[in-house]
Amino acid sequence: MEDFGDKVGHPRARGSGTPLVAFHAVSKRFPGVVALRTVSFHVAAGSCHALMGENGAGKSTLGRILAGLCRPDEGHIEIGGRTCQFHCPGDSQRAGIGLVHQELSYCPNLSVAENLCLSSLPRRGLLVDREAMVERTKRFLDAVGADCGPDEELGRLTTGQIQLVQIAAALATGARVLVLDEPTSSLSLGAARNLESLIGQLQRQGTTILYISHRMEEIFRLCDTATVLRDGQHVATLPLAEANEDDLVRLMIGRSLAAYFPVHVGHSPGRERLRVEGLSSPGRFRDVTFGLRGGEVLGMAGLVGSGRSEVAQAIVGMDPGVKGRLFVNGAAVTIQSPRQALSQGIGLVTEDRKRFGIVPEMGCGENLTLSALDCRGGRGFWARAVRCPRCPKREDCLRLWDWLRLARERALVLEYFDRLRVRAASPAVPIATLSGGNQQKVVLAKCLARRCCVLMLDEPTDRVDVGAKAEIHRLIDDLASAGHAVLMISSELPEILHLSTRILVMRRGRVAGLVDRADATQERIMQLMAGRTPSPGILERTVHAN
Amino acid sequence: MPTERAGQWGTVARPTGTAKRSLLLKETGLVGVVLSLGLLLTVFGGAMPVRDRATGQTRTVNRFLRADNLDKLAKNTSFFAIMAVGATVVIISGGIDLSVGSVYCLAAVCGAMFLNRFGPQGAGAGASAAWVVPAAILLCLGIGAIAGLLNGLGVVLLGVHPFVITLGTMAIYRGVAFVMTRAQAYTHFPPQFTDGLIRYEVGHNLYPVPLVITVVVVVLAGVYLKRTVTGRQIFAIGGNEQAARYSGLPVERVKLKVYAFGGLAAGIAAVIMLGYYGAASSDAGKGYELDVIAAAVVGGASLSGGRGSALGALLGSLIIQMIASGIIILEIDQNYSQIIIGAVIVAAVVLDRISTVLRERRLAVTAVPEPEISERAEP
Repeated sequence: MEDFGDKVGHPRARGSGTPLVAFHAVSKRFPGVVALRTVSFHVAAGSCHALMGENGAGKSTLGRILAGLCRPDEGHIEIGGRTCQFHCPGDSQRAGIGLVHQELSYCPNLSVAENLCLSSLPRRGLLVDREAMVERTKRFLDAVGADCGPDEELGRLTTGQIQLVQIAAALATGARVLVLDEPTSSLSLGAARNLESLIGQLQRQGTTILYISHRMEEIFRLCDTATVLRDGQHVATLPLAEANEDDLVRLMIGRSLAAYFPVHVGHSPGRERLRVEGLSSPGRFRDVTFGLRGGEVLGMAGLVGSGRSEVAQAIVGMDPGVKGRLFVNGAAVTIQSPRQALSQGIGLVTEDRKRFGIVPEMGCGENLTLSALDCRGGRGFWARAVRCPRCPKREDCLRLWDWLRLARERALVLEYFDRLRVRAASPAVPIATLSGGNQQKVVLAKCLARRCCVLMLDEPTDRVDVGAKAEIHRLIDDLASAGHAVLMISSELPEILHLSTRILVMRRGRVAGLVDRADATQERIMQLMAGRTPSPGILERTVHAN
Repeated sequence: MPTERAGQWGTVARPTGTAKRSLLLKETGLVGVVLSLGLLLTVFGGAMPVRDRATGQTRTVNRFLRADNLDKLAKNTSFFAIMAVGATVVIISGGIDLSVGSVYCLAAVCGAMFLNRFGPQGAGAGASAAWVVPAAILLCLGIGAIAGLLNGLGVVLLGVHPFVITLGTMAIYRGVAFVMTRAQAYTHFPPQFTDGLIRYEVGHNLYPVPLVITVVVVVLAGVYLKRTVTGRQIFAIGGNEQAARYSGLPVERVKLKVYAFGGLAAGIAAVIMLGYYGAASSDAGKGYELDVIAAAVVGGASLSGGRGSALGALLGSLIIQMIASGIIILEIDQNYSQIIIGAVIVAAVVLDRISTVLRERRLAVTAVPEPEISERAEP
């Protein structure tokens, strides 16, 4: 890759404006969603180019296409004026592109050195030349300022360290273009600052950077140009010197923030549905105590890794090592599996929908009734095995012994499709073909169909398009008004601030504070999340960013 | 058992006639199987000239579509189809059962020892067939189900991959059968069980009982998979075990049922085999596990779980057996049979894979983009 510069001309000529990477009418479709629609723009050599947009706008897909992880359906990419067809990540690497993203794309069981040199292991004869590998690794680790040794196992490093290793690996393959996909979203403030200064330094050394993020603050500090995507379409490419945050936000969401969230209807909290006392799990969280009342939305804020999701997982019994007490409607209960949690009326909508939320090949109707099919209420062997499980006379029981009552099931599905405005051609189409928003509605309906009165929603609007997002917000609001107790975990502060009755902030596995709606400001929450007082300027900017 | 998925709900615009039929094939993922079956029928089903050695004259005969040949085909298919149905259910749940051949053998050997003891030359010769025959059948089914249940317990309690567990039990069950019989074959069963039941003859040399049992098993399994709560849960667990767990499904309990059913199917096959051949030894069913899994896979079961049907298992077994019998009919050198069968297995799965990819591509193209903002979200 050392000869790459010759092909391109002068990639190191900073700010010259010569396009190094150009996208020409790139389109990409996935089942159920159009991720990119004829996107065209170019990235100037030596620039730090921000790629912005909401969740699901297509930023990451574009990054993945550039890195050769997926191929565009239409259109092509030019690098240094040459049309490139990337068939595999190796092709992209050879063209001088390095991708750094949060999802671990390396082998956690191998050492740092092995990971770093994985694509081109130095050899001595047939064997790996260990010394050369370690020496090379040290050189690149020093270059990025990583404080880990070449022999450490990658899986044991922190996220921040792993990202530095990924950058080092990208540099080791001779990357001239570095694609950074939301690099700071899971980092502590300090680590994020280190990363930023590294990026600045790399850019000064001539690396072109494509920076995917939706954090205004970082983008204004680091980048010189920004491209905004919305719903898979290219909205604008503009120099950041000429733009301010409000412009960008408007471009990203297509309308002003006021229309973005539904008007909040005040709730009057009812009795306490769920109480958690002294919940601890070694290495995940400690001494978490809170109560959740019917009719309220308890927002749970915190940085990624602060233990928010882990608490929710532990409540539904997916953490065998958890200690602490749990009360449902005032009565102490032990919950060892999601099955028991559901029978207590506690439903969890998990964060990673694809892995934990849906059965992709099954119809969306079948996904919807998955939990409701199994509502055995009777106690004791006789009631469970011999009598028709549960509710022998209840009108809406979906089973007669083990027999499925398809007509009732269909009626239930159509009812929820209607209530939640699920857009699907029929309940029989596989759920994987629906858009993210509709999938999420079905997963939510799964809990509702089981008649859960306590709903725990982990990142309910993650990877959901704008329209559906507003609908889900409205739905959460409606559910609380109808008396459900809702615990909402979210990384999007505006979402938390607009929907929550109270806000529970987690930091490093502990409850950092519980803030009432009336006292909640973005500054206060951020402060509790980060554990120190950030400078006011930063905060003011992030207000609209997320 | 029609396993059309869309039919359960009734699609928005209900397709009719040919459209509906083709939809059925696409939805059940049986396109490849049905195409291969049709192809085989054309190849084998045609009449061909045969030179009569005695007279030296050439006559045109159809040696495939003949009652005795079809009967033999049905009998050969029946063992495999029943075991393949069991294997399909296990595979749908995301597991695998390598021990079917050994479970089949163990059940057959236990049944054989029992029947031999109460047979015409055994110690309990005088016993009434009215209880010996049902007891023998229950014994076979029970042994099969218990062996399967043990597989399931191993998978659920030890948390080891089913491939490893059933690889172990495959050897263990066969070893148990070997030790029990001391490598001896058991024959001389009560005739009420063999000629009176499984080998019940209608017409000349026609034995329909194995076929009837197979059809009943396939229909019941199809209904079980598509119309019961447990069946739905099996698909869900195979499709995404974690999601099924989070949805509150009794994952462990369903898995136990699934493996027990796999064993039970092997037990049923053992009953047919005992009655048909009137003998069993510890060699019975050696290497069946791979044939059975192959039949399930040819029949559209996905080894990654969540997909498959009882009807597919039947058709898959039928294809493999038709090839085996076709090779004899076409007078192809027997030594080539394994190569041909192997090639057909790969071809059927590739066809299925292609149809899946095409379907996914079509879905991606026709994906309806979301409206920008729904009316309700408008301020």
